[in-house]
Amino acid sequence: MDQIYIPKNRQGFSLGSYVVIQPLLKKETPAENPFFYHTGNLETLKVKIIDEIFYTIEKNIESYENIIITGSFLERGFRFNDIDVLIISDECIIERDCKKILEEHIGITIHLIIIDNKSFINGLRTDPLYQAMVSKCVSKKRFVYNVRNEFKYKILDLHLLKSKALIDSFDILSGDEKYEMVRNAASIALFMDNKKISKENIDKFINTLFGKNMNKEIKENMIFDKQDFLRRYKSFHEALFKKILNGIKNESKQK
Amino acid sequence: MSQNRNKLLDLFIGNLSNAAVHHILEKAIDDAMVMKRYNKEFTISFEKARNYRKRIHPSHTALSDKDMEYITNKLIRKVNAELQQRISNHYGNINLELIEETVQNLLKDTKVI
Repeated sequence: MDQIYIPKNRQGFSLGSYVVIQPLLKKETPAENPFFYHTGNLETLKVKIIDEIFYTIEKNIESYENIIITGSFLERGFRFNDIDVLIISDECIIERDCKKILEEHIGITIHLIIIDNKSFINGLRTDPLYQAMVSKCVSKKRFVYNVRNEFKYKILDLHLLKSKALIDSFDILSGDEKYEMVRNAASIALFMDNKKISKENIDKFINTLFGKNMNKEIKENMIFDKQDFLRRYKSFHEALFKKILNGIKNESKQK
Repeated sequence: MSQNRNKLLDLFIGNLSNAAVHHILEKAIDDAMVMKRYNKEFTISFEKARNYRKRIHPSHTALSDKDMEYITNKLIRKVNAELQQRISNHYGNINLELIEETVQNLLKDTKVI
């Protein structure tokens, strides 16, 4: 049992009086409510965790442009491995220290990205993953991103490389890993077609390409017709790679 | 070599070649921001390769000369083919001389040699 010691000679209450115990330092409630972008109804517990993350960062970092929470943490249920936290700040912040403070305070693994505003905007313009990230997120401050896609084919090539392993390692990969690779390639395809990158659009794209409910089948590692899936995936991957290589070729001709 | 071991070796080589290609392409892009942003993807392939390596016996010491030769040759061929494909499409600034060094370093890091 916890004990609280109080002075023997005390004024104001006699032996047996009821008292209220409360911390001397009250936690300041955040001044602004966070902004929810396409998250649907988040579980109350998650909203509390998000508040704690914002509060902890605010307490420990002098200045920042925005804080964004994204990734699988915002999906329904509690199947996330970590929480993706993006701090946009032009200040020099030591990532390792900040991650440690957050993890100690929240008790959940944090995948922290600290990025300056210019790089963030640049990332949104050139990188489908950035667009996917902000398509469903919670941010500390309101933000509007309205950027025109800029195709940096060499970067897209690097991205697509990540999805190549699915062809070689199909049998050994987990459902989540397979889905991540397909999603990555799908988001590149959507980006190159100047289409909006969101989870819904990516899943729609996957289902159009591979068949009804395939987004779920891939994720659950329950692909019924492996040969058919791999045939379709290979041809999709090849076509996308060819498109990127053509982009590189045209880029070099223009120089 | 058993069929399962062969499969593991191929998976190991596949992921390690991805990591090597990634490493060389990063250098070809020559952009500090890109290096920082995409280094994580190199790490993913490398970690996957390392996981496969742990399942290939002997996992804590170097592999036999025969395995070593098989892996090195196949890896160099694979990386070279991937890069040549890009070079033939006018992807500039790819330094093929980095292949040997990158492959050797990755093989050392994964205790193949």
